[in-house]
Amino acid sequence: MSIHQVELWFFLPVMLVLYWLGAGRRLWQNGVLLVGGWLFYWTWNPTLLWVIVAATVLDYAIGRFIGTEGRPESHRKAALALSVIYNLGQLCWFKYIGWFTGSFNDLMTALGFEVSAPILKIALPLGISYFTFGKLAYAIEVYYRRSPVCESLLNFATWVAFFPQLVAGPIVRPRQMIPQIEVGRRPTAKMFAGGAQAFLLGFILKAYVADWLGPNIVDPIMSAPTDYSAAMHWLAVVGYGLQIFGDFAGYSLMAIGLGRLFGVELPENFNFPFLSKSMMEFWRRWHITLNTWLFDYLYGPLTLSRGWWRGRLDLGFLVVFALCGLWHGAAWGFMLWGVLHGVALVVERRWGEYYKTLCRKDRVWVKRRKTRVYAFVAWALAQSWFIVTLIPFRIHDVGNIAGYVQGMFVSAGSAVPPGLESLRELQHFAVILLFLVVYHLTQTRLGGWAWGRFQAAPAPIRGVAYGLVLVYLFIYVPLSAGTFVYANF
Amino acid sequence: MDRAGIRQLIIDWLDDNHHFGDAEDLITSDDISWIEHGILKSLAFVELILFLEDNCHVALPRAELTRENFDGMNKILRKLEESGARLG
Repeated sequence: MSIHQVELWFFLPVMLVLYWLGAGRRLWQNGVLLVGGWLFYWTWNPTLLWVIVAATVLDYAIGRFIGTEGRPESHRKAALALSVIYNLGQLCWFKYIGWFTGSFNDLMTALGFEVSAPILKIALPLGISYFTFGKLAYAIEVYYRRSPVCESLLNFATWVAFFPQLVAGPIVRPRQMIPQIEVGRRPTAKMFAGGAQAFLLGFILKAYVADWLGPNIVDPIMSAPTDYSAAMHWLAVVGYGLQIFGDFAGYSLMAIGLGRLFGVELPENFNFPFLSKSMMEFWRRWHITLNTWLFDYLYGPLTLSRGWWRGRLDLGFLVVFALCGLWHGAAWGFMLWGVLHGVALVVERRWGEYYKTLCRKDRVWVKRRKTRVYAFVAWALAQSWFIVTLIPFRIHDVGNIAGYVQGMFVSAGSAVPPGLESLRELQHFAVILLFLVVYHLTQTRLGGWAWGRFQAAPAPIRGVAYGLVLVYLFIYVPLSAGTFVYANF
Repeated sequence: MDRAGIRQLIIDWLDDNHHFGDAEDLITSDDISWIEHGILKSLAFVELILFLEDNCHVALPRAELTRENFDGMNKILRKLEESGARLG
């Protein structure tokens, strides 16, 4: 079961009814959420439920141990190390062991040795990258005494197993959610309206935008690029950028919407990344919870350490983003993607340093940076880099990546993807693009004003508008929609 | 701690690296959030802390190096004061 599939329409009402039957009663509400979360996890893969249960119990116990006043510092540090080793070890085992052994075999073969380590095929537990990072944040925060210890195992387990965020995040910090579930929750109309609206918007991005672009534009071209022209190569890459935005931002909004239906506010994960005018800004708008996690627990401690790493800001970018790439999946393509993003941040930082020297000499450069031309060029460069770097993100084999890039400039193919074959599909494509443009226009002054007016309109008018959207979706969206791209991470 | 001197040092750093003469105008109050008001982007906090540690002769506690603790002039000055920062 996933949060955009038909099964949810049976699971969700039961959960909501049971949950709100105990409105204001923390034990009941958290109990319902925990059992529901574990059931949700069990439907994904029954044999892997133990993974989340074991990790929950261990980190709860470690948190209690670390947080106890008067505990010797060396014991606390050892307990933190145990949490880090267990969590990262579990992640490596399930996610990277096959890749490690495969890469080892390739290396041995390249060096001329006849060695072949067995490659294990291990099922990836649902959401392991997300709840592992959440729990690591908890152990670190408690160790530094920035967050209080969660005294209740029920509250702790409810936070880890909160089902809206299980499939693909957002990565929820303990202080963002635990205080909310330490008290009973009571329903409000605003909570339900906000939840339904976020869920609907996310559903459109996922089921209408992402799930159409994948099979109709992106997948056909990327799976047989030599059949298509250079222009189609570009279309597929841009389409993929829109697809994963729809997929992941859509999922995040659906998770936020579902959270609100249970009276829990999850953190924002996307903030219109296609408006970014630099890669630094892009990473403040795209997968925000991962970016802030990497900044707070890796980049900051590394570059502010007392040792050799201190002040090595550029190297810090490269290392952190290489790991960010690996976080997405066990493949060299992901790592290359991460390194390319790290390189972009280094170049931007260097450019910023150079530009500062110009600004110090003459304030006219400060004004130039605020002009529309400067903003447009910066936007075009950032967005182009994001789009181009998606090639190794989508095509993991290095040889195929080179072939695809070549095809973007020279390709004799003449095939047409299904999404451009008929007038009906073209209309569908046009509506998707129009929707994405209008969605981003809500961030302009005029668009924001119009959206605010709509929000302030009488409930029946908004209800009719949402109803029309739902009818349209029921007609055009297949409810057997695909899985989330980011669920595999 | 020379509070006024360190405050001026921070303003100078902001001007020299980010706002080129506009920093004093942007900081309408020492209590405002620098992130919310666009005075400092999140990644620049690392540069700010490196600058403060090097120029105020202080080793800020690792546990307290969060953006929230340094998100505003008064918050920064408070943390520096607690850590025994000094000029020169």
